[in-house]
Amino acid sequence: MKHPSAGKVSELRHHLRTPVNHIVGYAEMLLEDAEDAEVKAALERALTGAREALGLIDRAVGGDKPSVTAEELMTLREQLRTPQRAVVEAMHLVLDRAGTDTQVASDAHRILSAAARLVEQSTEPTVAATVKRPMAGTSARILVVDDVEDNREVLRRRLEREGYAATAVVDGEAALAAVASGGYDLVLLDVLMPGLDGPAVLERLKADRDTRHIPVIMISAMNDLQVVVHCIEAGAADYLTKPFDPVLLRARVGACLEQKRLRDQEREYLAQVNFVIEAASAVEGGTYKAGALDAITGRGDALGKLARVFDTMATQVRAREDRLRSRVRDLQSEIAVARRSTQSQTLILDGGNLVSGDHLAGRYEIIEAIGRGGMGAVYRARDTELEEIVAIKTVRPELLTDPVVVERFKDEIRLARRLTHRNVVRTHDFGEFGGVYYLTMEFVEGITVRELLDTRGRLAVGPVLAIAAQLAESLTLAHEQGIVHRDIKPQNLLLDADGVLKVMDFGIARLATRRAELTEAGLVVGTPAYMPPEQLLAEPVDARSDLYAVGVVLYECLTGILPFEADSPISLIARVLNDAPRPPIELNDEVPAPLSEVILRLLAKKPADRVQTAAELARIVQSAG
Amino acid sequence: MASILLVEDNEMNRDMLSRRLTRRGFEVAIATDGRQGVDMARAGHYDLVLMDMSLPEIDGWEATRQLRAAPETQDLPIIALTAHAMSGDRDKALEAGCNDYDTKPVDLDRLLGKIAALLGGA
Repeated sequence: MKHPSAGKVSELRHHLRTPVNHIVGYAEMLLEDAEDAEVKAALERALTGAREALGLIDRAVGGDKPSVTAEELMTLREQLRTPQRAVVEAMHLVLDRAGTDTQVASDAHRILSAAARLVEQSTEPTVAATVKRPMAGTSARILVVDDVEDNREVLRRRLEREGYAATAVVDGEAALAAVASGGYDLVLLDVLMPGLDGPAVLERLKADRDTRHIPVIMISAMNDLQVVVHCIEAGAADYLTKPFDPVLLRARVGACLEQKRLRDQEREYLAQVNFVIEAASAVEGGTYKAGALDAITGRGDALGKLARVFDTMATQVRAREDRLRSRVRDLQSEIAVARRSTQSQTLILDGGNLVSGDHLAGRYEIIEAIGRGGMGAVYRARDTELEEIVAIKTVRPELLTDPVVVERFKDEIRLARRLTHRNVVRTHDFGEFGGVYYLTMEFVEGITVRELLDTRGRLAVGPVLAIAAQLAESLTLAHEQGIVHRDIKPQNLLLDADGVLKVMDFGIARLATRRAELTEAGLVVGTPAYMPPEQLLAEPVDARSDLYAVGVVLYECLTGILPFEADSPISLIARVLNDAPRPPIELNDEVPAPLSEVILRLLAKKPADRVQTAAELARIVQSAG
Repeated sequence: MASILLVEDNEMNRDMLSRRLTRRGFEVAIATDGRQGVDMARAGHYDLVLMDMSLPEIDGWEATRQLRAAPETQDLPIIALTAHAMSGDRDKALEAGCNDYDTKPVDLDRLLGKIAALLGGA
């Protein structure tokens, strides 16, 4: 093997020492400013690692060393991994503690990129070039497999003269063992051998995940060409025929090694891509740590940029989730307080037509009445077939006398049954028994936003944002499926003890809103307080009508009053159609100005002037605060 | 406040050393290759030059020789910085006209000592 001259060795040492010098310089600088004891200790560890690396480099390519071999470089590279790891780990701690100090973070990133170069250096072309003869990579390790001693030795010596590290073995078994021990860049494999022959060895190498990337050049006699074709189909990179032509040998070996080098780069790139993908899963699982991608963020290419952008985004997402969690916690405590004062109230509600112990449709055993409204009554019941607690809502017979209305109602229920979302109360079945129409649905142990407001008055901004976010999410799903709720109001919004909001009565609201038309028949008129102008005017409604109602709910949650209040339904309707509401911020100065503005936009008279979709509202709420 | 001209082509070394010197109260100007270093040293009034030896355009040895040859900079203190920790480098640096010599990684206190010795004697 040709050794580099003394001048080349000193150049090599310079290349190897430069990143170490950077680590030392930046670490010392950070140490001067560090106050946190753990950060100081981490920086000391990085400095120790860097000094250790310097020692290793000086020993391998020290000042008075006239030459260095590829093997020594490989060994050095392995040895440098330990101090490199120490530096990288120390910097992760520093980055974790850096907080908003961008200078510290940027210096730590510089140390990380220097640490990455530390091990890259000893394999990358700049350094490899100093130990290379002009035409061939001397550091490449080649395995020659041939049963005929003359062939084997000729080939091995020729490769060594080309500057490669060549090893020769006599049969297929020995070849597999040698490759398995690792470190080979290329295999020259004789086709015809006793025992395990060339094609069989090739097949084994290509079947093994760990060895399939190593290129194999088949060595054949002129008359084996049929077999060579088969081998190339089976994954051989190239072939050589005996007797060897030195020019061809050099060219094919060189080309194969270059291809392997490029493939290795690609593999490393893909490994880093996978690392980014893993980081994405970690974000999903909530385990992503800022700075986890530091080995990649230092890259100058598109992948490095992706990793940097990703790291920033993931950190922001986590901050947003933390914010949401804290809002939900606030909401939970509001609910807990409200529940204590509403429990007794629930029990004294009038029980409707059915009483405890009654059976409905031979399947549902009534436990208790839990509510009564314009549509009918609500019961808690046991589904005796599925042994499950359900809520049953009965519908007043007067509402369903017209068979057309009944059919349309059934259509709506069919649609609503498709909605499956944690923020939607599941609708199970619709049936009729003894002249009573009823709906069964998921029973939610909780209280309505109405009850919450009645006991707590107005709510703090955090809990309101938690309600808004969940309401927007449930409407996003419903609207995507073409379902407009038409009757969003605090009575229809249930909150369980965990602060999860569930929207009730998807699909039956159309029936409820018919009440306005049925007024003359003497039925109860619901409050129009949550209805947008177009609904009050019996004009076509769409998703934006629900968003108006959301605006009223949020307004009431934040201010404790409705945007429009009046003594009679008629004057209320007139105000909804004509008046501008007072901005929530005027009634509660804790309301952030942007939130106050969003609510006013939701309350716009014309649908076109409102926030246009629930998804958009969800985005606004998510980024609020 | 003493002003130092730092001639260094490596961005990280430059960033690091200039920041560390600035923190110690020096005014630091920067040249990124040997030719620029010579031009700046001859045009400006610096108290001292820190000269990296492996530089593009003209290297640190040659830049030092040119500074020594020019009347306005013949007495300007120059400290050579080199990563080549070879025994001959020190003599070579002094021979080229450097007043002192230091190796990378820079031990800041050691370097500050050398700077102080040169400035104190000036």
